[in-house]
Amino acid sequence: MSLFVHPYFLIGIISLLLGLAAGFVMHRSDFCIAGMYRDLFLFRRTVMIKSFMLLVVSSIVLFEAARRAGLLSVYPFPLLYPPTAANPIGGFLFGVGMVLAGGCVVGTLYKMGAGSVLSLTAFAGLICGSGLYADIHPAWIVFVRKTTFFPGKITIAQILGVDPVIPVLAVAVPGALLLFFWHKRGALIRPAFAAGYLQPYKAALALSLIGTISYILIGMPMGVTTSFTKIAGFIESALFPSHYDSLAFYKTMPLNYVNALTGAVLTGGPGPNYDALAAIQIPLITGIIAGSALSAALLKELNIHHRVPFRQYVLAACGGTIMGLASRLAPTCNVWHLLGGLPILSASSILFLLGMLPGAWLGGLLLVKVLAKQGVRST
Amino acid sequence: MDRVEFDIRGQMCPSTFLVALKEINARADILREGFVKLCFIIDNRDATVTIPESASNMGYAVTVEKKDRYYCIEVSGKRD
Repeated sequence: MSLFVHPYFLIGIISLLLGLAAGFVMHRSDFCIAGMYRDLFLFRRTVMIKSFMLLVVSSIVLFEAARRAGLLSVYPFPLLYPPTAANPIGGFLFGVGMVLAGGCVVGTLYKMGAGSVLSLTAFAGLICGSGLYADIHPAWIVFVRKTTFFPGKITIAQILGVDPVIPVLAVAVPGALLLFFWHKRGALIRPAFAAGYLQPYKAALALSLIGTISYILIGMPMGVTTSFTKIAGFIESALFPSHYDSLAFYKTMPLNYVNALTGAVLTGGPGPNYDALAAIQIPLITGIIAGSALSAALLKELNIHHRVPFRQYVLAACGGTIMGLASRLAPTCNVWHLLGGLPILSASSILFLLGMLPGAWLGGLLLVKVLAKQGVRST
Repeated sequence: MDRVEFDIRGQMCPSTFLVALKEINARADILREGFVKLCFIIDNRDATVTIPESASNMGYAVTVEKKDRYYCIEVSGKRD
């Protein structure tokens, strides 16, 4: 088969373009999901969290419109599972980790693209945390199976046994009314001084559109964290081959679906192979980093500063590691759950969010405690 | 008027904001008397919103200027 008609090539190009757009938009608006939750608890700032709500509500509407138009070939999308106790536990740890790391999984990527050395440190932590999970996977998967609440049911609609449009309308209509009320009061606007600033509500609408295009064309919304596990597996297989061989996690293949665009059966897993997950996620990750770097370069804001207090490196590394581990425990990360699962009212994603909220609160308290002790030099 | 400069580029969010807030509060008296002006050199886009917003709410005059590859946020005594 020619390279240019290989399904991996086509989905890779689509993912790359979506990643470029997402990275550009996130950098322009500094659309940091970790910061939204952290600032809500630490400083009672609500503008960004309102934009996040807009992102979720508009995704709910767009996903449902796409489903009813017959554009979603897989519903619910792959790699979403029935709710378990693992979701809030993973969500809690994820909330702590993302606040300590100074950004969630995609926040880390777009900040890294703009030259943040601390985000690069958090990225290394994400890889470590993802790899750590492989050792506890056998025990954790037993816990997940024992605490599954509604076997075979993923969304609220499936649990209630109703058409998805009913719970979707029950959430989207009051959500849209509330957002309209905030819009009329100007509560979605942020006074900004940064060059080329994109108002967060515009970024929210753009990201929900990007997520919908991804769902229609790829068969899934945006997701990145399995590739972090692949990188960890690659490093582990090179450094400790016998230990790597003993880890069952890297041999699992949870992804298996038919991509409607290419007609190909796409399979993949966390192991360090170039499978469908790598073909989708690696171009997306590359795109987010490159899109943010492009935005920063155009604004002449592509800066690399490594002289920051050492404790911030420690925070970024620890936060990244906790976040990487949590994204496998949950399973999957905030982007998958909040920008993908929540819009189709996946019960596991709702539980993830409920766990993430106190996690972000605790992360904020820890962060302030550590940062308060650092000194700053003046001239 | 003295000008005290803080280079806090590259720091994680919300360290940039917390450092600025701490330094403003530590010099509240001389800032209000007009003896000193604080300049925060930052490269964190979010802090170009949060620092001016908070300093302004505290009654200080704030200006934000884009320089070559960074932003300079100046905080001085009371607004008119």
